[in-house]
Amino acid sequence: MGAVRRFFAYLLTLWVILTLNFLLPRLLPGDPLAALLDPSSSDYVYDPQVRAALAAYYGLDRPLLEQYGHYLLGALTGNLGRSIRLNRPVAELVAGRLPWTLLLVGTALLLSSALALLTGTESAWRRGSWADRGLVSASLLLANVPVYFAGMMFLLLFGVRLRWLPLAGGRTAFAQYASALDAALDVGRHLVLPALTLTLAMLGAKFLLVRNATVNVLGEDFMLVARAKGLPEGRLKWGHGLRNALLPFVAHLAAHAGMAVTGAVFIETLFSYPGMGRLIFESVTARDYPFIQGAFLVVSAVVLTANLLADLINLRLDPRLREG
Amino acid sequence: MRGELWFGLILLALCGAVAGLAPVLAPYDPRAFSGQPLERPGPAHPLGTNDVGQDILSELIYGARVSLIVALAAGSGTVLLGLLVGGIAGYAGGWLDQALMRLVDGMMSLPRLPLLILFATFLGSGLPQTIAVISLLFWPTTARIIRAQVQSVRERGYVRMARQFGASPAYVFFRHVLPAIGPLVAYGLVTAAGNAVAMEAGLAFLGLGDPLAKSWGLMMRFALNLPGLFLTDRWLWWLLPPALCVTLLILALTFIGIGLEQNLNPRLVRRWR
Repeated sequence: MGAVRRFFAYLLTLWVILTLNFLLPRLLPGDPLAALLDPSSSDYVYDPQVRAALAAYYGLDRPLLEQYGHYLLGALTGNLGRSIRLNRPVAELVAGRLPWTLLLVGTALLLSSALALLTGTESAWRRGSWADRGLVSASLLLANVPVYFAGMMFLLLFGVRLRWLPLAGGRTAFAQYASALDAALDVGRHLVLPALTLTLAMLGAKFLLVRNATVNVLGEDFMLVARAKGLPEGRLKWGHGLRNALLPFVAHLAAHAGMAVTGAVFIETLFSYPGMGRLIFESVTARDYPFIQGAFLVVSAVVLTANLLADLINLRLDPRLREG
Repeated sequence: MRGELWFGLILLALCGAVAGLAPVLAPYDPRAFSGQPLERPGPAHPLGTNDVGQDILSELIYGARVSLIVALAAGSGTVLLGLLVGGIAGYAGGWLDQALMRLVDGMMSLPRLPLLILFATFLGSGLPQTIAVISLLFWPTTARIIRAQVQSVRERGYVRMARQFGASPAYVFFRHVLPAIGPLVAYGLVTAAGNAVAMEAGLAFLGLGDPLAKSWGLMMRFALNLPGLFLTDRWLWWLLPPALCVTLLILALTFIGIGLEQNLNPRLVRRWR
């Protein structure tokens, strides 16, 4: 029951996003063509006849509903429009960049989750100690420092001052790799700084979440019973404490996916990482409206799908949710 | 733990003083080309000049105004919308509450930053637009908190009594509910303001800020646009100061928020000790 309802909510949200994307340029003053070609851009068309021809070419002279149907059909079949700046299909551009972003976001999500679960549980176990208080303060700071600031600090420290790691890019330019391992190592070296930044950016909020959840679990009656049974400390901490704290953690994974995407846009821009975020940044600078719209659709769809997955996992994990 | 609150308030007051006294404090008009391009820090320009010869220190000082305006305007915009929707939903209950909360859920599941970029792209990049977009996208968080509190206040004895004596909803809301949720509204305002500062700087950083209101985010963008910024130590006085200022302002608001939150919920203090 719950799964079906969530799936419909997911479809509904997806539809809202699609429609918003369609309506926004049409609702605003000026025709969609003006949104397609910014008057301040150098290739702006002034000739009214050419504009009319262009409007006909893009189908803008048809009724709104027909345009909408055409647009929905296109979006569902993977036709996301054409980038004006690069003169290539948006879908093709996205396909080239999305893997980089997924690599970056995936690494950071895994790392920050693992670290948060470990330190959060440990911190809750020793709540009130100096270590716990220090970690809580540090996490509060981490959770509130803007991600681009943390990124800048890393860039400056490890890339500029110490020169340990490459400053920018996803791999060395013009590199000839001797083997696949070499290539993987190069990609890995370029991944370290952006992934570390994104990990830290997410760690603060996740740590606080795990710690609070575990503290709550540790106060439950079944913990007292488990302790009275004489279970070893490790079993209490990880088997009983952490295991139950996992529920709220998974429930928040969806929100964290959105957070990770936000972080990725800034971090890719800062580190010139060849992912979606960087491409969005470049397109914003060039006022490449079709691409911004296409990228918006893809990113939103990815985040929404992540939300749905997290919801479904949570439904499986927690039987209490299935009843409601 | 009053330390956080005071720390935050002092930092914020400092920032406000700099913004208010900007014409007195700044050595130059931030828009004037007061030196050679890319001068190193010296007696004439304590933080050097940017790529078109404007004094960086003056830009930094005037930038405080932009950030504070955004914090105040977008922060209040967010809270007002949240108060409106959350207040109505919590007070009215029933189908209206259900409908409004579905709206809130839906909006919270939308990815915020891509949406922010889309809106900013099509609405144009002026400061009023930035403020409007931030307020429009971030009110649901506040609305949810407000609604929960209004629901609990609504059922308190003295409020029920007032209603039973025939007080109008507007009277009850302004006379009883609003004062009771006042501290929560203050907390919401501070967190929304901190978020607004971060978002404005982020948008400017991405190139969607108001080109006429030189904010700290825009300064960072111009610095990062310089090819080979990191090859010299220029970043030290051009990129670092605005980044530090944004972070300090956000931290100030965060600390005030933490201080207020502990006042609201004394249990938190015990838990954190």
